Amino acid sequence: MKKKILATLLASAMVFGLAACGGSQSSASSSTTADSTATESTKEDATAASGEFNPDTDPSSQTIEQIRESLGAEVPVKAGLNLSAVEKSISNEFWRSLQEGYEKAEENVDKVADITIDVEATTDEGDETGQQTMVENAVNQGVDAIMASPISDANLTTAVENAQDANIPVVNVNDGLIAIADYYCGPNAYQNGYLAAEWVSKKLGDKGQVGIVVGMAKAFAARERTQGFKDWIADNNSGLEVVAEQNADWDRQKAKELAATWIIQNPDMKAIFCNNDDMALGVVEAVEEAEADILVVGVDGIGEAYDSIRAGKLDATVDSFPYYMAQVATEVTLRALAGQEVPHVTATPQALIDSENVDKDAAEIIGWTDTVYTAAQ
Amino acid sequence: MKQLFDKYKREFIVLLATIAMCAIFTIMNANFLRWSNFLTILQQMVLNSILAVGMMFAIITGGIDLSIGCTFAITGIVVASITVGGGNPFIAILAGLIVGALLGAFNGFLVNNLKLQPFIATLGTMSLYRGIAYVVTGGQPVTNVPDSYRNIFNGKMFAGIRYYIIVMIIVFVIAYIILQKTRTGAYLYAVGGNEEAAKLSGVNTVKTKYIAYIICGVCASIAGLVMLASLGSAESTAGTGYETNAIAAAAIGGTRMAGGRGTPFGTFIGGLMLAVLKVGMVVINVDSFWQYVVTGIIIIVASYFEFIQQDVQAFLARRKQG
Repeated sequence: MKKKILATLLASAMVFGLAACGGSQSSASSSTTADSTATESTKEDATAASGEFNPDTDPSSQTIEQIRESLGAEVPVKAGLNLSAVEKSISNEFWRSLQEGYEKAEENVDKVADITIDVEATTDEGDETGQQTMVENAVNQGVDAIMASPISDANLTTAVENAQDANIPVVNVNDGLIAIADYYCGPNAYQNGYLAAEWVSKKLGDKGQVGIVVGMAKAFAARERTQGFKDWIADNNSGLEVVAEQNADWDRQKAKELAATWIIQNPDMKAIFCNNDDMALGVVEAVEEAEADILVVGVDGIGEAYDSIRAGKLDATVDSFPYYMAQVATEVTLRALAGQEVPHVTATPQALIDSENVDKDAAEIIGWTDTVYTAAQ
Repeated sequence: MKQLFDKYKREFIVLLATIAMCAIFTIMNANFLRWSNFLTILQQMVLNSILAVGMMFAIITGGIDLSIGCTFAITGIVVASITVGGGNPFIAILAGLIVGALLGAFNGFLVNNLKLQPFIATLGTMSLYRGIAYVVTGGQPVTNVPDSYRNIFNGKMFAGIRYYIIVMIIVFVIAYIILQKTRTGAYLYAVGGNEEAAKLSGVNTVKTKYIAYIICGVCASIAGLVMLASLGSAESTAGTGYETNAIAAAAIGGTRMAGGRGTPFGTFIGGLMLAVLKVGMVVINVDSFWQYVVTGIIIIVASYFEFIQQDVQAFLARRKQG
């Protein structure tokens, strides 16, 4: 009997030796983050060192307002252009909105010059090769430009190379990053976290403990949103203190369980920032069950999150307005086709939505004005 | 007492390991040893343990069911649609259980009548059922499930205990009765131990395996019912990957993957251990990446525990002799 207990303890000790290593490693990395006050520059250095494309820190990045300012408000369009938009996961509300945005953009352009925007999408996040086929089809049809929202960083690489061989410009619209794409249009994921931290600080009088629920660690957006949140705190010498940071794999149930544990362990926790709305809605359930007074902030701005904010449950979300993202992407593409020198990266509109502006018109929140298209000679 | 220990030797060892884990977590953070934290562990083991006990029935017969995460999601969608549409919550629950039984029976059909390998058959239905969930909902979540439904499972009794903990205990008691006190239980073990021998001694192996997959489907539905009450909304993507944790809980609890062995008590302890691990690592603030590493090691160590233990015993025996 004794031997069995001994064996059990041995095995457990072995495993927890490892766990302890993990613990100390995480605290070390978080302290380095806190030390770097000039985080923006550190981040850029890191990016430059690794040589990877990061749209959030790309020096060329401009907003659509800046582009309209420098290149002129009018966008000349040749009639008869064929654009292809390839996106993904049409079961997801976010990507459906993006499709509606493309349709709206086509409608706007058609008033002055007849063009087509052919939108294609995969049914889910898993069909990487199906999406590649869509882009290749577009190349074979000889479209004038391709706007692509890849499933992963890599699945469209070959197809994009084929497009470039055929002199078809490729615009990377949000999410999976195509390092070789000619242009990138998307929200600044780092800014998502930055905005959220700023709002939390304002609501809490800049002090209190906060937790961060991270999405899939492999996702660019998850890493950037988390980093942005933490950097705002460091950059502003904020009184906010990140006491917990763990991942819940974008899963609502997992996020709820994680938050339930945190609430018990950290009775002073005042706010929880989640990398997306799905997880935030799970956390809201945990907060309600515990009858705790905790601010919950998500990212994405899905319809359910808006409903939850109206119902006084979720406190805020950072919306990246896919409907307008598609219109910005179309404008950038048409400017490029007209020979204008658009920047490599265009940061698309985003805004924090809370109970004060939840019923406002999105165009008003982001100060959106429709693009002025003119028929090119 | 000695008899009881011999019968559940493996289970007791895992229980001891779980207690040792709790001790280590408590040393690292004294807050671990609180009633409220214990309650969290109990609550967070519910979904996985109910899925695992169903999975155990499939594994006992020498099979497996990879589709449970999808059955879980479909049940949530069906029950949410009925209750949001104003339907009676109890009728909705019944409908959910029937859905689980039907989806389980279809797995049974593929395994028994089409003679497919359980792994391949349920790999197929995993995709099929998930597809159905997408098609039915168009990818949209079903939200705003009324409290009249949610309180059935999510309501609180004394000391903050929620009803779904009682539901879990009832599921395990029923599983125990089926396996230990009925002829069907004996048949289930017999089929998994040696299907040919069972057939020759007059066991209806087809019916027995159907029962196993139906029970597995129903358990997945029950977990789906609890999830819906807990979150108040159903999504077509819910439960993705949950089958792996269910298999892990069953395996840690001593269910033999080749079939013929496994007890509800063991699976309960396996589920408890995984929940202790999950909550404990959050409490001591282990980096998320390391949680995967540690969980994987625990599963492997626990599964091979008997071998380690035999080696240690043999080593000590040799020392004694020499």
